[in-house]
Amino acid sequence: MFLEIKDLSVKIENKNILKSLNLNINKGEVHAIMGPNGSGKSTLANVLAGKEDYEILNGSINFKDNDLFDLNIEERAQEGMFLAFQYPVEIPGVNITPFLHSAINSKRKRMNEEEIDNLSFAKLLKSKASDLGINIDMLKRSVNTGFSGGEKKRYEILQMSILNPDLAILDETDSGLDIDALKIVTDGVNKLKTKDNSFLIITHYQKLLDYIKPDYVHVMVNGSIVKSGGSEIAAEIEKDGFQKFQ
Amino acid sequence: MNIQDNYQKNKKNIFFSENKDIQTYREKLINIFENDRFDKKNNESLKNINLKNFFDFKYKYLISEETSVINNNQENSYSIVSVNGQCLSYKDDKIEITKILDEDYIDFSKNDIIENNDHFVNLNSLFLNSGFKILIKKNNNIKIKISNIITDDDLTIFQKNNYICEEGSSLNLIEEYENKNNSTSNILNVIKLEKNSQLNHFLIQDNSSNHNLIITTHSSVKKDSTYTQKVYNFSEGYVRNFHYSELKEANSEADLQGIFFLKDNNTSNNKTYVKHLAEDCKSNQVYKGILNDRSKATYFSNTHVDQVAQKTEGYQLSKGILLSDNASYFSKPELKIYADDVKCSHGSTIGPIDENAIFYLRSRGMSKIAATKILISSFINEELSSIDNEQMSEIIQKKLVRYLSKVK
Repeated sequence: MFLEIKDLSVKIENKNILKSLNLNINKGEVHAIMGPNGSGKSTLANVLAGKEDYEILNGSINFKDNDLFDLNIEERAQEGMFLAFQYPVEIPGVNITPFLHSAINSKRKRMNEEEIDNLSFAKLLKSKASDLGINIDMLKRSVNTGFSGGEKKRYEILQMSILNPDLAILDETDSGLDIDALKIVTDGVNKLKTKDNSFLIITHYQKLLDYIKPDYVHVMVNGSIVKSGGSEIAAEIEKDGFQKFQ
Repeated sequence: MNIQDNYQKNKKNIFFSENKDIQTYREKLINIFENDRFDKKNNESLKNINLKNFFDFKYKYLISEETSVINNNQENSYSIVSVNGQCLSYKDDKIEITKILDEDYIDFSKNDIIENNDHFVNLNSLFLNSGFKILIKKNNNIKIKISNIITDDDLTIFQKNNYICEEGSSLNLIEEYENKNNSTSNILNVIKLEKNSQLNHFLIQDNSSNHNLIITTHSSVKKDSTYTQKVYNFSEGYVRNFHYSELKEANSEADLQGIFFLKDNNTSNNKTYVKHLAEDCKSNQVYKGILNDRSKATYFSNTHVDQVAQKTEGYQLSKGILLSDNASYFSKPELKIYADDVKCSHGSTIGPIDENAIFYLRSRGMSKIAATKILISSFINEELSSIDNEQMSEIIQKKLVRYLSKVK
C-alpha cells in the first residue's frame, strides 16, 4: 500500500476534528475527497504534511513503508509528499528561484541523487513555468508576494511539477480560480500524472473533477469518510449537495 | 568616587578644561548629575543600562599617543585609522581635518534638542578626551572610510567629532567599530549639512562582548540636503545608537536606518528624535532587529512636526523577530504634529518568526534551521539589497552569515 491511513483521530485545541478516519491510496491512483465546510478535509491535508498544531489521538499513517509519524515535515517532503496549499503563504524577501532550487536539491540529497546545478535548474524551471503559462518575470519575485489568487495556485502547481512528488495533496486548489486558470492548473496536474504517482484532491465542487478524473471519490463529513465510490458520487453531490450524507 | 571628584582629579586629561566658559558649562552638568535620581523608568538614556558599568569611574582617561593614519589612496577617497578617538590634522584643496576646538564644543553646548538628562551625552561633554573635525569643502564629492581603534584595556574614550559638508558637497562616510578590548567608546557626532549637500553615513559595529559603544549623532540639515544614516550592529557588547536630527530648511531630509543582530545577554538601545522645522522636509526611519537568547533592544522614536513644517513627510517603522521566548524588544514610536498638511505614519511589529512561513518552507523539503535562516535573511533583505556599495554589502553579508551560523 502506498498510503494507508488507519483509524486516525486528531484534535486541535480540545476540538476533535478527525474521527477514526480510514483511507487507502495505491500507486497511480487519483482520489478525491469532497465534503462540506468544516468537515476536516484541510486538517487531513495538514496532518499528512506534518503540521505540528494538531494532536494525534489515535491511529496510524503509513507512507511508502514509513511510519509517517516518524518523519518530520521536511522528511515527508523529501520522501515525496507534496501539499499544494489552500492559502499559500506570502514570504517577502525569499526569492522563488533559489528557494525552489534548494528545495529540489534537499530532496535529491535524501534520495542519494546528484544535486542539480544552477544552469540545469534554470532551464527546468523555465520550461515548467512556460508549460503553466507563468511569466518568466514572476520567477524573479518573492514567494507568493503580491500574487493574485490565481497566480498563487499556479505557482503551487509549478512547485509541484518541479519537485515531482510521489503523492500530491491538492487542498482546494480550485478555489479562487477563474475557468481559464482552472484549466491551466488542471492541465499541469494531468501532465504530471503517471502510473507511479498518486493524487489526493480535496475540493467542494465537482467542477475540478471534470478536468482531473478521479479513480475514487470519498465523502467526508464530520471528520470521517462516510461514503466512497467512483465519480458518480461527485455528480450526486453536485445535484443534491452534502445534506443527505450528514 | 563621585563625579565632581572624578572630574577634578582628571582635569588635566580632559579637553578644554582651561576654558572658563566650558568650565562653567561643565559645572552645570555636574549639578545635573548630582541632582538626578537616575530614574531608569522615565529616563530613556538609562533603559537596559547597568549603571555600575558606566558610572563607577574606574576607567582610564589618559589616552596614549598613538598615531592615526590618513591615506588619500585614490582621488577623492580617503581612509583614516582613528586611534583612541584621535586623528592627525590634514589639509588639501578638498577636505580639512583638525582637532576639535573650544568653539565647536561651545557651539554644540547651545543646542536644546538633546534632553539635559541624557547622561551619556553629559558624560561625553564633561570628560571629553578626544575628537576631530572633518570639513568637506564646497562642491566636492568625497569618500572617507574610518576605522576606529581602541588600543588599551579599561580605557574610556569620550570623543566629539564634527562633520561639516559645505554647500554642494557630498560625503560617503563608512565607519567601522571592531574593538576587542575591555573599553568604552562614548562618541558624539555633530553633523552639519549646508545647502544642497549630502552625507551617506554607514556605521558597521562589530565589537566583542567587553567593549561598550555609545554613539550619539546630532545632525542639522539645511535646504535641499539629505543626511542618510545606516547602522549595522553585529556587536556582542552593549551598543547605543541615538540620533537627533533637525531639518532646518525647506526640502531637507533625514533617512535613518538601524539593523541589529543580537544574541546572548546583549543589549541594543536605539532612539531617534527628528524635528521638522521647515516646509517640504522628509524623514524616514526603519529600525529592524533580530533578537536571540536573552538579548534586549529598545527603540524610542519621536518625530516632531513644527507648525510651519507644512507638506512634511515623516515615517517611522520598527520590526523585530524574537528567536527566543527570553528575548525582548521594546518599541515606542511617537509623532507630534503641529502642522495640518502632512503625511506621517508609524508602525511597529515585533514577534516570533512566522510559523506558517516555516511550515510552508519545510513542506517543500527545507530543514527547520534552513527555513529559519532564510526567513531571517528575508526579513532584512530590502535593507541589505538597498546598499549600493559593493564592498559594504560583502562585509555585511559575511557578518550576517556568521550571526546565522550561531542560530540553532
